[in-house]
Amino acid sequence: MKRALPVFILTVAGLIPLWRYEPPAGTTTTEAAELVPTPSPASSPSPSSPSSSSSSAASPSASAAASQVVRGSTVNTSKGAVQVEVTFEGDKISSVRMLQQPNHPQTTAAVPKLIEETLEAQSADIDTVSGATITSEGYIQSLQAAIDAKDA
Amino acid sequence: MRRVEHIMGFPVSLRIDDEDVPEEAADALFAWLREVDARFSPFKPDSDVSRLDRGELSDDDLSADLVEVLGLCEEYRVATGGAFDARLPGRGLDPCAMVKGWSVQRAAELLTAAGATRFCLNAGGDVVAAGGPWRVGVRHPEQADRLCTVLEITDGAVATSARYERGDHILDGRTGRPATGLLSLTVVAPSLTEADATATAAFAMGAEGMEWAAAREGCEVFAVDAERRVVRTPGLPVAA
Repeated sequence: MKRALPVFILTVAGLIPLWRYEPPAGTTTTEAAELVPTPSPASSPSPSSPSSSSSSAASPSASAAASQVVRGSTVNTSKGAVQVEVTFEGDKISSVRMLQQPNHPQTTAAVPKLIEETLEAQSADIDTVSGATITSEGYIQSLQAAIDAKDA
Repeated sequence: MRRVEHIMGFPVSLRIDDEDVPEEAADALFAWLREVDARFSPFKPDSDVSRLDRGELSDDDLSADLVEVLGLCEEYRVATGGAFDARLPGRGLDPCAMVKGWSVQRAAELLTAAGATRFCLNAGGDVVAAGGPWRVGVRHPEQADRLCTVLEITDGAVATSARYERGDHILDGRTGRPATGLLSLTVVAPSLTEADATATAAFAMGAEGMEWAAAREGCEVFAVDAERRVVRTPGLPVAA
């Protein structure tokens, strides 16, 4: 079966901005994954709440899910230490942030991936990534540790 | 259930959503992949592949699995006009590009046989998913912290070949030189055996590999060429 191919030609740069690197915060290394206390959603101001309930269909994820921040354990790789911090909204990962990553230029570019949301949470919410390989090891391990700590 | 183990040089991440699938099913999956590594790695001197390459195994000694893998390698070598070749001149037998997809697909079949209906298995960036929808991001070829598309997979496989991270590690068997015509090529197919081998072979072929892969039965393609243009097949399951 032979099919006509080229269909959509886009520039790569215009595609989905997913995860913005934030420099390591200089936090100290933690051996085990840990929960990080966060303010409960109820305690933070919610300016839109008066109008949102009447103007459109209910949006349960916006209000009901509790936010929880979990740190993955620090994973030492051949290129350096890797640690991530994951924010959950209910059971969904809403963001992933690197707390530590190697300084090696190649790995600095290669380490972070997966998830992120900002305002595109719906479309950017993903279950897995195709195309990750070797240097993502520490990232995936640390992410997994965060997920495990959250479920525990 | 979520598990991650490091096998064959990459992380293997497993998520099973079925409540009643025992941990032993995951144990068996990882054990299988370790066994594959021991038997098929060209980097282990006592593997079947290394022994075959040294002439220590006759045809009668070959396991059915190895015969199957070598048969697949030959099928793709012929189909790509030699761009995909497990026996490059001056190098030892290296069926890695075929073994990865084949063995991870087999691992997924072990899960299905154990009763898993909704799972997502990611082996070093190659994905087999069942019982979706699953949202599978495709890594941006130049920026590791971004995706270039998101796919929605119900039952099937996704594999990406690219030049990032490991550099020019895929050789065009026709020239023996690194394949440089593409930055990244992703294949969606019913099985990872097909997706991974087709992605690797098409990447080795360079720009012409896009059309070649798109013409393969059951394969959908997303590719970024060296000029950073994105090309994809109409049937590619892009997530809404």
